[in-house]
Amino acid sequence: MRASQLIGLEVLDHAGQRIGTVTDLRCKQDGPLRGAMCAPRITGLLVSPHRLGAVLGYDRHAQHGPWLIRAIVGGLHRNLTVVPWTQVASYDGQIKLKPLGDSL
Amino acid sequence: MKRIFGVALGILTAIGGFVDIGDLVTNALVGSRFGLSLVWATLVGVVGICLYAEMSGRVAAITGRGTFDLVRERLGPRVGMANLVASFLVTLLTFAAEVGGVALALELATSVNYLLIVPIVGVAIWFVIWRVKFSVLENTFGLLGLVLIVFGVALWKLNPDWGDLFRQISRPHKPTDESLPVYFYYAIALFGAAMTPYEVFFFSSGGVEEKWTKKDIITERVNVFVGFPLGGLLSVAIAAVAALVLLPANIQVDTIGQVGLPVAVAAGKIALAIAILGFVAATFGAALETGLSCGYTVAQYYGWQWGKFVRPKEASRFHLVVLMALIAAVGTVLTTIDPVKITEYSVVFSAVALPLTYFPILVIANDPDYMGTETNGRISNFLASIFLVIIVVASVAAIPLMLYTKAGQ
Amino acid sequence: MSAAREFDLELHLLDRQVVDADGRMVSKVDDLELNLDDGGNPYVTAILVGPRALGPRTGGHLGRWMTAIAARLAGSQDPPRIDFGHVVDIGEEIKLGCRVDDLDVQSLEDWIREKVISRIPGSNHAS
Repeated sequence: MRASQLIGLEVLDHAGQRIGTVTDLRCKQDGPLRGAMCAPRITGLLVSPHRLGAVLGYDRHAQHGPWLIRAIVGGLHRNLTVVPWTQVASYDGQIKLKPLGDSL
Repeated sequence: MKRIFGVALGILTAIGGFVDIGDLVTNALVGSRFGLSLVWATLVGVVGICLYAEMSGRVAAITGRGTFDLVRERLGPRVGMANLVASFLVTLLTFAAEVGGVALALELATSVNYLLIVPIVGVAIWFVIWRVKFSVLENTFGLLGLVLIVFGVALWKLNPDWGDLFRQISRPHKPTDESLPVYFYYAIALFGAAMTPYEVFFFSSGGVEEKWTKKDIITERVNVFVGFPLGGLLSVAIAAVAALVLLPANIQVDTIGQVGLPVAVAAGKIALAIAILGFVAATFGAALETGLSCGYTVAQYYGWQWGKFVRPKEASRFHLVVLMALIAAVGTVLTTIDPVKITEYSVVFSAVALPLTYFPILVIANDPDYMGTETNGRISNFLASIFLVIIVVASVAAIPLMLYTKAGQ
Repeated sequence: MSAAREFDLELHLLDRQVVDADGRMVSKVDDLELNLDDGGNPYVTAILVGPRALGPRTGGHLGRWMTAIAARLAGSQDPPRIDFGHVVDIGEEIKLGCRVDDLDVQSLEDWIREKVISRIPGSNHAS
């Protein structure tokens, strides 16, 4: 499986309602030891309500710079939420979440 | 002392290296048809290139990485690819124009048909890229290009009414025999000639080639803010002598010989010979820059090893791209399309591609993750935002105007 | 033992430059290979490199075309991989602990070097 096969997928809650698009994969470096370091293990999905996802790049802290840039880049990435991987029921073509805790 | 010498060399190289075939042809052409009523467009373009060259140089000095490397990383592979395709094609077109320009200038000097000269020019360009040290390459052609000051000398010798000239520049009005769409079409062409995308790729990649660090930012700024405007003044001088000599005589510029004609009229044959030397130096230098930029853009997007600072064997794909771009450029000229026409198209398409190439630089130059404390100041951002609007307007209007005016007819 | 680092794949790994132990540029992180651990959690096993990895991410006609040509030339759909065990540092660049020659991920570069660039005199001199 490739990371690109998860990023960009639509995320649906257990009732089938669209929550957003996977924009990024949050990891913790505590997976199986590989070479010098532990492998990064996926702990969650970053979901954006927009369909565009991370089209213009984004950063987690406040975008610096002229208001024009902030308006374009920042505006596309309000409301990023983190969905823990434990809530994922299936990820075949779409991400379907398990029934608990789906109010985002 | 050595520091001052270094700075002076940088400034002189920036002045001499500023002018390329696009500036030569477009400024002379506009001067011969519109007088000085479009100089404002050149001046706006010069401010713009200063702004963006400074940003891209600062990015290279702080991050030690080339523009396209960062563009893909910051904006993702899709936007990066769109950027790459647009930038590469425009740079390749400009490369063909410069190669044609060298051949035309040499034809002027030797009376040998330019089509016969072009293959030799191609080999010479490739040889210099392959074997000549980066700093030598940059400095030599930059300094030789300085002889284009002869246009300033010619202007002075024509003894114009300086007050009148100044009035024409500061209070532009469209000549009555030209339509408004054509006027703005050439404004965009002048803008695209001054703000060529390749300049930014070359400047930032060159900074990495020469291993700039934070300490070099001041030198880099002086080069840009002193050298480029003075180079821009040369462009204005080219337009001014064309306005004074060709406009009254109703001669419109469509050959490179006519670009130099005012110099011959004002200051004689030797001055013309110097001007031709300047043409050769400016276009050859620009050909080197555009050729290398074709390689820089592709290699940096894909993450390949690039640069003249490693042995060619270690950057094989980079050198192959440069070689293939050179073959394509020479081939384009050999199709016998007039290189002056290629030049006119290259400046207009440069204007079209500008938003895609400049917007990412603005984003990165403002990102503290890359720039640390050296992000854009308020003044830079204020000006850069204004220019972003101008760039988008020029880009959107360019093709419709080109079609409507049949490329400035 | 310090707390395990947290980061995001797209922001911190994907499209970053990979450099080898000598500082030579290897590639970009074109995609990442994931396997499942015993708990069903995906974890990163390798960096994927080249048009067969990048093509699907670029998308559109150009992306599909890139992928198809590369797959045809190489005879397989699988892109070259750099095992994640080679990675020694994740920062502005992804640093590897080995040299690029020890990996086998630059077939195009090697082929061009052998067939074209090496044959031109002077290919051993930097300038």
